[in-house]
Amino acid sequence: MKKTSQICQSKLPDNTALKQQQLPAYRLQLSATGVLSGFFATGAFCLGVGIILILSAKSIKEIEIKYTKICANCAELREDAINFDKECTCSIPFYLSETMQGNVYLYYKLYGFYQNLYRYILSRSNSQLVGTDLKDVGNCAPFSKSHNGTPIAPCGAIANSIFNDTIILSYNLNSSIHMEVPMLRSGITWWTDKYVKFRNPSAINLSSAFTGTAKPPYWSKPVYELDLEDTENNGFLNDDFIVWMRTAAFPTFKKLYRRLNRVQYFIEGLPAGNYSFNITYNFPVTRFKGEKSVVLSTLTWSGGSSLFLGLAYTVTGAVTWLAAFSMMAIHLMLKEKRTLFIER
Amino acid sequence: MVLSLTWEIKPCSGLQCAGEEKRVGTRTVFVGNHPVSETEAYIAQRFCDNRIVSSKYTLWNFLPKNLFEQFRRIANFYFLIIFLVQVTVDTPTSPVTSGLPLFFVITVTAIKQGYEDWLRHRADNEVNKSTVYIIENAKRVRKESEKIKVGDVVEVQADETFPCDLILLSSCTSDGTCYVTTASLDGESNCKTHYAVRDTIALCTAESIDTLRAAIECEQPQPDLYKFVGRINIYSNSLEAVARSLGPENLLLKGATLKNTKKIYGVAVYTGMETKMALNYQGKSQKRSAVEKSINAFLIVYLFILLAKAAVCTTLKYVWQSTPYNDEPWYNQKTQKERETLKVLKMFTDFLSFMVLFNFIIPVSMYVTVEMQKFLGSFFISWDKDFYDEEINEGALVNTSDLNEELGQVDYIFTDKTGTLTENSMEFIECCIDGHKYKGVAPETDGLSQTDGPLTYFDKADKNREELFLRALCLCHTVEVKTSDAVDGPPESAELTYMSSSPDEIALVKGAKKYGFTFVGIRNGHMRVENQRKEIEVYELLHTLNFDSVRRRMSVIVKTQAGDILLFCKGADSAVFPRVQNHEIELTKAHVERNAMDGYRTLCVAFKEIAPDDYERINRQLIEAKMALQDREEKMEKVFDDIETNMNLIGATAVEDKLQDQAAETIEALHAAGLKVWVLTGDKMETAKSTCYACRLFQTSTELLELTTKTIEESERKEDRLHELLIEYRKKLLHDFPKSTRSLKKAWTEHQEYGLIIDGSTLSLILNSSQDSSSNNYKSIFLQICMKCTAVLCCRMAPLQKAQIVRMVKNLKGSPITLSIGDGANDVSMILESHVGIGIKGKEGRQAARNSDYAVPKFKHLKKLLLAHGHLYYVRIAHLVQYFFYKNLCFILPQFLYQFFCGFSQQPLYDAAYLTMYNICFTSLPILAYSLLEQHINIDTLASDPRLYMVSVEFQ
Repeated sequence: MKKTSQICQSKLPDNTALKQQQLPAYRLQLSATGVLSGFFATGAFCLGVGIILILSAKSIKEIEIKYTKICANCAELREDAINFDKECTCSIPFYLSETMQGNVYLYYKLYGFYQNLYRYILSRSNSQLVGTDLKDVGNCAPFSKSHNGTPIAPCGAIANSIFNDTIILSYNLNSSIHMEVPMLRSGITWWTDKYVKFRNPSAINLSSAFTGTAKPPYWSKPVYELDLEDTENNGFLNDDFIVWMRTAAFPTFKKLYRRLNRVQYFIEGLPAGNYSFNITYNFPVTRFKGEKSVVLSTLTWSGGSSLFLGLAYTVTGAVTWLAAFSMMAIHLMLKEKRTLFIER
Repeated sequence: MVLSLTWEIKPCSGLQCAGEEKRVGTRTVFVGNHPVSETEAYIAQRFCDNRIVSSKYTLWNFLPKNLFEQFRRIANFYFLIIFLVQVTVDTPTSPVTSGLPLFFVITVTAIKQGYEDWLRHRADNEVNKSTVYIIENAKRVRKESEKIKVGDVVEVQADETFPCDLILLSSCTSDGTCYVTTASLDGESNCKTHYAVRDTIALCTAESIDTLRAAIECEQPQPDLYKFVGRINIYSNSLEAVARSLGPENLLLKGATLKNTKKIYGVAVYTGMETKMALNYQGKSQKRSAVEKSINAFLIVYLFILLAKAAVCTTLKYVWQSTPYNDEPWYNQKTQKERETLKVLKMFTDFLSFMVLFNFIIPVSMYVTVEMQKFLGSFFISWDKDFYDEEINEGALVNTSDLNEELGQVDYIFTDKTGTLTENSMEFIECCIDGHKYKGVAPETDGLSQTDGPLTYFDKADKNREELFLRALCLCHTVEVKTSDAVDGPPESAELTYMSSSPDEIALVKGAKKYGFTFVGIRNGHMRVENQRKEIEVYELLHTLNFDSVRRRMSVIVKTQAGDILLFCKGADSAVFPRVQNHEIELTKAHVERNAMDGYRTLCVAFKEIAPDDYERINRQLIEAKMALQDREEKMEKVFDDIETNMNLIGATAVEDKLQDQAAETIEALHAAGLKVWVLTGDKMETAKSTCYACRLFQTSTELLELTTKTIEESERKEDRLHELLIEYRKKLLHDFPKSTRSLKKAWTEHQEYGLIIDGSTLSLILNSSQDSSSNNYKSIFLQICMKCTAVLCCRMAPLQKAQIVRMVKNLKGSPITLSIGDGANDVSMILESHVGIGIKGKEGRQAARNSDYAVPKFKHLKKLLLAHGHLYYVRIAHLVQYFFYKNLCFILPQFLYQFFCGFSQQPLYDAAYLTMYNICFTSLPILAYSLLEQHINIDTLASDPRLYMVSVEFQ
């Protein structure tokens, strides 16, 4: 008898919450008031965040000067590749009406330059850039080897097309005193780029490290002479080079060029007054119908001057409220009908 | 169909060399592999060995075969193509991104299938390596089961399973019978008796059996467990062959177990993959769920989206590149190779690259996730303790997990009556002898004192007739007696347990027992009946004309002690009345009809005396028919038909079949859920109708439309009358439902309800009426009527007709989902035909449960199975599939839009690792958990409010 009862029990399915599908669950009980208040609350939150973001973005001081047209003669000169060794400079005076408080950053901005082309992005050699194998020019075609067959360092289309204008900002304290605004060229890269992804080949000095390689065809100087003032800022570890090598996602982009060294007059930021940009115009953009500009900008907690995030929040909030209002209207209408129906 | 074809081909190689005498339809087996005579050259035939191979793969062919099968799936093949494109063509994403998910999916599936196959291998080995004893050269030789050859004589001990299909030669009992249980084959746990041929009964030792020279001719293997046709030719010393017929009662099936018998000797006729058990494990057709079909439709749509996106991007790319500074800006010069390639070729590879870039729109892991969801989800059915039935100590059984969600979309339910709506536990209620009604069971104590009659009402009919009637009940059956303690106690005290495949017969024998006639058992072919005076009457059982669903009757031919030969026949009224010669059948007929109206199952009993000369002839015919190898069934039927004529009607019986627990509530709930319930039964119209009323399929307000032989018979031209009726009914229905086809369910609640009753013969008239244009018309009118009726009752249905109806409804416009539920072997055809087949683990064996997709113990469990489980499964799988397509569309859309910002250069927006993992882990596991556990409505609420079911059906 005992045996049979045991068998009986074994065939009866276990009475556990999982097996009987009775796991504790919270089932939302949606009521009109609950849903509507939820919608209104979400809308209010989004609108609030959006407005705050927009205001903070608006508080940023930013100056952008497109200089392709201003330096038309230089642009025309660069139209033809033969004139690559002719120097062309261009001065752009401008007036800063308000002081730019705090840290000020100097960017260059390119229009219509597709750094995101598939072939272009591939055209680099990471093993070369970390300094392990200078001869490895894997994906760099057509900028992998020079005419006589020596490997190019740094190879590839990205490195070859580096932005090579020099931009110097000078401050006109008065009509006679022109002073160069002190700028820092360090600290403009991502930490991982500077310390992980880019390494110079090890050797006594840089020039010997790069022997047996050629400079990229569009470059005027070899990679170990990029910065003549600071020997540390040379080779693959050059900050401008690293910034350029991190490709932009969209054809219109700006890249950090310099940041303000806050000393002397500029301890508070950039004071209002007359300034001028002295630009050595090397980078051709008219050939692909593009444009260049320089940007001076401050930053806040929410980032740069882009309004996108703020607008996205605001629009979402507005749409949520719109939906909430229309739902409320429908709800009220139906409620009225129902009461009428019941009264009848 | 497929099976029979393969069998034509396979054994041919063995047969063709066996001589021209052998036809393809039969095989000859020499017992013990001894040639039957020296003159005839013995040519060994090649049959397959006794190895059972249920596994699909071997160690060597696993990889290629499994890969081949997996890549037959569209999605897998598609990803393989993409992968190959990525390897060969320079594409934006690395081959890993599509190769790894594909590898993952293929590996998971291969591991699952490999594991399942390993289990099958292990089970096969267990069977194949088990030890058996074979008689070889008069010695008992121990062998592995797989070494058995056709023709070997095998010894099987008690409680062992038969290693192959055997013909019983002797059982070491005097009467040559053995008891067998086929629990593992069809789930029927009762003992069945199998017989040895008379001439070989005596061969009980290894030596004597070795002297037997015999050849067995039998049909080629076929999967029907209950059919076997063969003949044994025994060559005794006289060299004159003695031929005996062999039937299923001589055949011991592989997988069955020997019971209550010490040991038997049998000769192997079918071995290995040719045994009936092995043949039955194949052949089950795969049902595909509607969701899977819609997944494929989705896939095709998505494939078009993908192609469109790739085409748009390619075109725009070349438009964009038509300006030179976009085609080749100074900072991104082309390589030499790029300049040299042909533009057309470049366009083509660009197109392929875009396809590769967007290929993640097709969810690669969806099949795996869906399969896992179905497999794991189906456990909830077998785990549900509400489906547990104490009586049979079992819960629900899931045979296929592929159809879970179909349970939530059912439109039509086809149910059997007996055993499904009713309990199938019969009770003898009343009888009628010569038109006189006998009701009220006499108390058993009265049995002794009333020598003149067992019943108080017994003064109406002639006493002889009464006794004849009761004897007929005692003799005309195939019931077996199992005595609990037969040997020790005196025969009276031993408790008799009756066992039979049909509960009706048990009820009848028990009924006769109450009236004083007790069936004691069969001994040596003699039936023993204890009469009212406690005397044992012995009848020699000459022939049993078995019951079948076409004849709808059975008969026995017995010889009394006095030497009279009597035929007793019992069967359905329609099967018996035309074959009796009485003039007074009217009274009995009225009685039978009244009983049927009360919902009882009625049987008529008739008898006939057979003159000795006639018997000689009958006997010869019967034996001839039984011997026939070809068309045995038809020949038997013809002989039976000839014998069962000109009988005398004695009376009729009424047996009650109780409604199943909560059958009515379940039907009501299913109705409320908007399901159309059709009852398909082989029973009489009146009985079925009353059952339908009892289980509330028909309400009192329901107007019944009848299309039966009764309504049609009155006119001369049946078809004209049928046509008239059909038109009339349609007019009536269309009048009631003016243009309300779209909101039928609503209409039902407001309008008059209609029910339709149709019987088998009328149905065949509708479906098979002469092949002119009108027949098609009949069918469509009939279907129109059916669709407008809330409930349909089809009675007097043959099993195949049930399947015919299901197929008809299945092919209706909008292809509604059908569900069949039944418990008996006669429901198997409709269970297999419908979208979802549900078996009841009933008393008529386990055939239905075995062939079903889901098996439950009781009809009432259907309610929760559909309303709660089905609904949830449907919602879950719908969310799962839709989510899969949604997430991939969302995933790939930014990628597509990004092409507008990167000069259509195929720059991927996502990192390769993200592309790879997105489908296989990041997004497939959370939704799997959701799709297993989601209950958007509480189970109790779903089960208690059937209207919720309509929602899920309407959204399909």
